Amino acid sequence: MSDCILVVDDDREIVKAISILLEGEGYEVLKAYDGMEALDILASRQVRLVLIDVMMPRLDGLSALMRIREQQNIPVIVLSAKSEDTDKVLGLSMGADDYVSKPYNPQELAARVKSQLRRYTCLGDIHAGSRIGEIRNGRLLYRMDEKILYADGEPVRLTAKETGIIELLMRNPGRVFPAEEIYRRVWDEEAYASENTVMVHIRRIREKLELNPKEPEYLKVVWGIGYKMEKH
Amino acid sequence: MDTKWKSIRKVVSFIVFFLGVTLTLWNLPGMFQRMPGKLFSGTGAAAFEEDYQQGRSFRQYISNCLENFLSIAINGCPTYWSYYNQYSSEYSSGEAGSRIEQEISRVMENSQVTEGTALAADAAENRWYGEYGWYDWNEWEEEQEEGLTEEEKARLQRRKEKLIRNYFSGMEEDKNLLYSISYDGKLLYSNADLILADGSVQIPEGYNFLLYFDGESVRITKDGKDVDIYGDGYWREENDWYVPGYRNFPVNDEMKKAVICMAAAKEPALYTVGLEKNGGYRQQNNALYWMQYNLRAERQLLRWNMFGFAAGLGLLICSFFCRRGRREAADKIAALQGKIWIECKVLLGVMVLGALLTGMWRRSWEYGGYDVWWEFTQIYAYEGLEAAGEYIKWMLSDLLYVPAICWVTLFWMIYLLGNDLRHNKKMWTRGLIARCCRNFSTRELKLPLARRMAHRSAILFIVVTLFSIILLAAAAGFIEENGRRNYSGADMILVPYCLAVTGILLTAYLVGMKNVRAAREVDTLSKRIGEICSGDYTAKEGEADNSVSGNCTGQEKNRLCRRNESEMALGKDLETARVQLENIRQGMAGAVDEQMKSERMKVELIANVSHDLKTPLTSIISYVQFLKEEEGLPDHVKDYVKILDEKSQRLKNMVQDVFAVSKAASGELPVNMEELDFGKLLRQTLADMDEEIQGSSLSFRTEIPEAPVMILADGQRMYRVFQNLFQNALKYSLKGSRVYVTLKADGKMAVASVKNTSHMELDEDKNFTERFFRGDKSRTDGGSGLGLSIAQSFTEACGGQFELEFNADLFIVTVSFRTDHA
Repeated sequence: MSDCILVVDDDREIVKAISILLEGEGYEVLKAYDGMEALDILASRQVRLVLIDVMMPRLDGLSALMRIREQQNIPVIVLSAKSEDTDKVLGLSMGADDYVSKPYNPQELAARVKSQLRRYTCLGDIHAGSRIGEIRNGRLLYRMDEKILYADGEPVRLTAKETGIIELLMRNPGRVFPAEEIYRRVWDEEAYASENTVMVHIRRIREKLELNPKEPEYLKVVWGIGYKMEKH
Repeated sequence: MDTKWKSIRKVVSFIVFFLGVTLTLWNLPGMFQRMPGKLFSGTGAAAFEEDYQQGRSFRQYISNCLENFLSIAINGCPTYWSYYNQYSSEYSSGEAGSRIEQEISRVMENSQVTEGTALAADAAENRWYGEYGWYDWNEWEEEQEEGLTEEEKARLQRRKEKLIRNYFSGMEEDKNLLYSISYDGKLLYSNADLILADGSVQIPEGYNFLLYFDGESVRITKDGKDVDIYGDGYWREENDWYVPGYRNFPVNDEMKKAVICMAAAKEPALYTVGLEKNGGYRQQNNALYWMQYNLRAERQLLRWNMFGFAAGLGLLICSFFCRRGRREAADKIAALQGKIWIECKVLLGVMVLGALLTGMWRRSWEYGGYDVWWEFTQIYAYEGLEAAGEYIKWMLSDLLYVPAICWVTLFWMIYLLGNDLRHNKKMWTRGLIARCCRNFSTRELKLPLARRMAHRSAILFIVVTLFSIILLAAAAGFIEENGRRNYSGADMILVPYCLAVTGILLTAYLVGMKNVRAAREVDTLSKRIGEICSGDYTAKEGEADNSVSGNCTGQEKNRLCRRNESEMALGKDLETARVQLENIRQGMAGAVDEQMKSERMKVELIANVSHDLKTPLTSIISYVQFLKEEEGLPDHVKDYVKILDEKSQRLKNMVQDVFAVSKAASGELPVNMEELDFGKLLRQTLADMDEEIQGSSLSFRTEIPEAPVMILADGQRMYRVFQNLFQNALKYSLKGSRVYVTLKADGKMAVASVKNTSHMELDEDKNFTERFFRGDKSRTDGGSGLGLSIAQSFTEACGGQFELEFNADLFIVTVSFRTDHA
């Protein structure tokens, strides 16, 4: 059975574009053009995920989001032309599960939709109790005994060094590691010109697990200090 | 080692200079004083011969003795001038003059040691001053003028005899000078058998000088040789011997009867006799002994002077060769001097100068302590210019006798003063008074102007009052003086006088008060200016009328205001200025409001425009994406789609950049400042862009210290800055050239620079950080034209400095941050 996604935007062309994109991925797409309409549809239909714009006539996206949250716990991705960090923080704190700024990258949007749906449908129950030997961080799950990283429940293929980096960072989410330390602990050698090597590996891991490798959400560079795994 | 040597060199070269100057100056006056020919006859080597008989003082002494002996032979009494000359010839021989004093004090000491009474001391003094018969002679002269009775004549005769006794008392036993005085064929006085019965002269052993006056002329034999006395027979000032026998100084009839013979010892000895009555002993005249003694001492001193002078000159020449060290030492001394308070310097200078002047005019004081200037004017007035010139010359020649230490001290004082003035430009600011003044003025500056004005007015008022009191007192004194002389109505002057003083005082008081009031207004005004300056543009209507209480009704207030205004206008000097300031304030408030409104609008506009641009752009990008994925399109359509895709991506970048740069420009860019390692940031950025760098033909040369260089900045923003800079370098560098990335940190600043060689000519007139500036005019490459502009505004938003410079084709960007942010 295909998941039903509600796309809400006052710009009809964008709604159409997104629906083409998502239907191509095999989802069923419902369309709404303002907040009130979206609420109406939500009341009548079983919807798995909502993609909603912020600036809309009649009822704006954030208000609609609050109304949705009053009744339902489905994932909501906010889609907005406002790209400032403050806007993102506002959206996420209002109950959005993700925030995508326009102009979006179609592949990224599709990946985010997929990720949100997977977490909601497949991993929702696992989320309740994590087993021993498992580290969970947002959509990432690392099983230490198997030394395998799962993103949205799917194993990510990593090399030995990449796994070492991931293990180090997953064990200490939020902590910033200088490149030298990562190099020393993963390569087990004295650090020399470590910055480039570590950066290359980090970039490769990002390609594999980040939805948008150019704007990473998990593997982050703390400029001038080091690298860290963002806590989600 | 090197610095030690330097400091030693400094000290040594200054000591050399110091000794050189001091020795030269110390000995120069002495050399002039004791110049050969002045003190000794003859010049050069002859001057140094150990013969006191060559001396001028010897000749004078002998001449005077001859004159005296003649006088004694003829009148039965020595001449007045003989005493004077004997006295002055002893006295004028420089430092030897003090011999007399020493002699007296020595005699006095001796007499005490030998338990002699004060008489011994009196005797010593008498011998020099009294015994020669000063007082007696004066009396005698007076008496001679009057007609004398027999009794008086007898008394005069007794006095003359006493004078002669006194005169010979020191000389008789002084065998340094042998004499024999005969008159009219009769031997009068003699202390040795010089003239034998047959009339021939016999010189005893040990005497090498003989003077024989036979009543016609003087014959002098020295060391068995006759001395030519008369020359061409005319007496001139420069002749050695002032004795009768010249054609213009002939022997008179009385003299012809006299025969005088004198012999001087080759080596004079000190003749002393014991005093039977009083105990102790006393010296004889011994003039020749002391003459020789003094001459020897003087010669010795001259030798030392010359030696010292030569040594000083030598040292001066040496110091010329090490003048650099001397200058450094002078700098050091100046630095030390700079620390001394100016008051100390002035006090010291005045004291030293006073001492010097006293020392310099010591001789004048000894001559009687008269007022030199007064005497000069007297001479000028009564004797004319020439005499005054002579007087000045005489006074200047007197300078030669100023003690050498005065010259040396004077020189060093001037040197130190010059040194101080040259190096310590602001020497006046370092001192107690200057500090007090500064302190006072800084403390006063903190007070409001009105208080300062009040202080100044008070000072003025006090001074005026004091002067008025002084004037009144003077007037009162004047009137009393006149009143005593019975000028009637003199005290009537006092009435207008008092009125005038009262008027002055009143005016001073009123003007002062008015100034203070004006200053109070200035204070209010400047307070207002300060408020406006610090951004307080709110109107303060109640300002002008502080007296209006807050709780009265509007109408009442208005009335009060009006009344107040008309009242205040009387004493208001600055009302117009206040009104004008109020106008300025209103204008400013309006302008600031306007500015803020427009700024807000600009930011809003940018946000809206970027939003409005983004929405259609989203559609474009989405549909281009679909087109790209569409299969079965003809090739040329695929090309179109590709172009559309590229351009839409670029448009997207541009929109984002425009948004970022306009936010940064309006100062609304949020920055998340944290401490980070600048070097690591650069390395991370380079590592992040490694692929692009590897893919280009350029090579990056980095010089980044391993040690952390901590700065305070927003890492994300700074990453963007360097990303832009490196992208720029990648985009605009000459193919195959190198890009240099360096980071240098000193204690205060961390400076990162990116240098690359441009592939096209750089135009110095262009502003590269200008928004939408593009390296090439055609604007066809991928950038938005905002790279450098973003880099600059982000750097500045993080508190750094962004600088651009180019040298020919070298393009240099420097980004600097303070490292001492803590």
